[in-house]
Amino acid sequence: MIDISKHIPIILIAVPILMAAIMVFLKSSPKLQKSLNVFVTLCLLALSVVLLLRVWTDGIIVYEVGEWGKYGIVLVADLLSAGMVVLTLFVSFLSLVYSLDYIEERSLNSTYHSLFNLLMAGLTGSFLTGDIFNLFVFFEILLLSSCGLVIANEKGGVTKASDKMEATFKYLVLSMLGSIVMLIAISSLYATVGTVNMADIAVKVSAMSAAGTMPWHIYPIALLFIVVFGNKAAIFPLHYWLPDVHPTAPSPISAMLSGVLIKVGVYGMLRVFFLMFRDVLPMFQPIIILLALVTIIIGAISAIGQTDVKRMLAYSSVGQIGYVFLGVGMGSVYTITAALVYLVNHAFAKSMLFLTSGGIIHHAHTRNMQKMGGMIKSAPLMGAMFLIGAMSIAGFPPMGGFIAKFILFDAGIEEGFYIPIAIALIFAVLTLFYMFRAWMIMFWGEPRDFETYGEYSSHALSPLLTVPIIILAIGVIIFGVYAEPLIALAQATAVQIVDPQPYIDAVMTRVVR
Amino acid sequence: MNNTLLSLTIAILFGLGTFMILRRDIIRVIIGLSILSHAVNMLIVSAGVFDGTKVPIITETHGATDASGTVFNDVLAEGILAPVVSATTHIQYVDPLVQALVLTAIVISLATTAFILILAYRIHEEYGTTDIRELRRLWG
Repeated sequence: MIDISKHIPIILIAVPILMAAIMVFLKSSPKLQKSLNVFVTLCLLALSVVLLLRVWTDGIIVYEVGEWGKYGIVLVADLLSAGMVVLTLFVSFLSLVYSLDYIEERSLNSTYHSLFNLLMAGLTGSFLTGDIFNLFVFFEILLLSSCGLVIANEKGGVTKASDKMEATFKYLVLSMLGSIVMLIAISSLYATVGTVNMADIAVKVSAMSAAGTMPWHIYPIALLFIVVFGNKAAIFPLHYWLPDVHPTAPSPISAMLSGVLIKVGVYGMLRVFFLMFRDVLPMFQPIIILLALVTIIIGAISAIGQTDVKRMLAYSSVGQIGYVFLGVGMGSVYTITAALVYLVNHAFAKSMLFLTSGGIIHHAHTRNMQKMGGMIKSAPLMGAMFLIGAMSIAGFPPMGGFIAKFILFDAGIEEGFYIPIAIALIFAVLTLFYMFRAWMIMFWGEPRDFETYGEYSSHALSPLLTVPIIILAIGVIIFGVYAEPLIALAQATAVQIVDPQPYIDAVMTRVVR
Repeated sequence: MNNTLLSLTIAILFGLGTFMILRRDIIRVIIGLSILSHAVNMLIVSAGVFDGTKVPIITETHGATDASGTVFNDVLAEGILAPVVSATTHIQYVDPLVQALVLTAIVISLATTAFILILAYRIHEEYGTTDIRELRRLWG
């Protein structure tokens, strides 16, 4: 009997890949397909929580694939990885439950389940891997599977097929360029230090830095990594694909993309800059802060002018990821704590808003907010849920977003970054404006002109759609009312990020067979 | 000397690829992307060519009798494994790891290229053109 608890990291990656294959074979029995996928995802979620608890009590867990030590592929679960995996699988599970009723039957049956599993494998893999080239491979897995999922059809067909094709084409071309840039960076790094293991690279780069023999091309390599992860996270010069792709994707996939997938960029930035390039980091902090601020400004201003509810949410994602990068760029323990708290809160609130927007679209049969209005009477639940999400994104006290914004600004002021915090604060007010503008247009006022646009759907939403939204809403409120555990976890994670020595020790002190 | 030629080839391929992805035709953009990914593949392979002492895995003393504990220091009772040359001969080593990496990269670029070609076909069906400037139904 294999001791499962020792093999959790590989199970979290291998089982979704296996499931992707099984799902193709179960095409003929949709019911079994659905229940099996939901069950396995729930098990994976439970396993990831076990992993996080074990990392919390026993320290960093290193899993060698094939017992080659640092020469082979290692999976490393520290608090950041394990926490991100829990977040990913939680949002994935809820999105999956939601999509059972939301995605069109034929699309769901043929490819959706497989691609969804591959997306989960790509996400958990990129969080857990301790090898920079393996990170590239998992990036490609999640890129291709998310492209396939963006094209999946939802019931009712609000989004035209041509829009999906166009958005996917933009996303794919930009991401392919991003992965080409990443390969350039990895191969130059390999040619410089002769290893692709992240901990090993960290040791060698800091040894070179201590000896004063750091080659100049470490700096351009680090810049290339900013391009790569900036492309994934959609920060300023590279954000143009996001407002096209996130709205055209079906709502549960938008929730995955906005809730988790753009966080891969943040994760990569934390991993690469605070582990591998921590000696050259001071030079890049101002760059990250500047890009973050421009991202905040662009996201907030663009979101104001939108009439499409999902497009508004997508621009809001662009703005909010800027706040996370602001915390990352300031680079002390407290600011990274704040960035992580912000990241979790944004993941919850934005996934919830996208799922809610799916319900709203289902109700109104359009994405255009101008063609909605007065829906508070016909869809009170969606109204309440959208309000909770909007309050959290805008940073209103009882919600998680308030705590996140509060400690981010507090951390920034404590570190003495007055001007960036002032700019971020001004645009936080704009966040308030566009979120509540959207809510008021959609839910208050007179109902729309039924003769021109048709009646609202009287079809009640099934529990499969409402329960995930309500669970996320409860999460958002809990993070606002009782935030201490999250902050404690984020702080422990930030300590590990700023001082990566335990990570390096855990990976490097392996016995090579 | 060989390396200069190699670097020049890689540089030209990068230039060609960049030129192609700036074209207006979707198919040319895709060809540009494949050229770029091949340029990257060559870059990765070129990162594995080492001269003499800077070899990452196999050491100069390879095959010597000292069992220094390195993974690849197989001696197997003097029946020396791996590079079948005597330890005194000076040769250019090629790092085997980059070739594994490049195989992975090639497979991945195959998959993405296949996907994007099908996407281009569907775009042609939907829009009736492969001119990339016509793809502006979404704006922003």
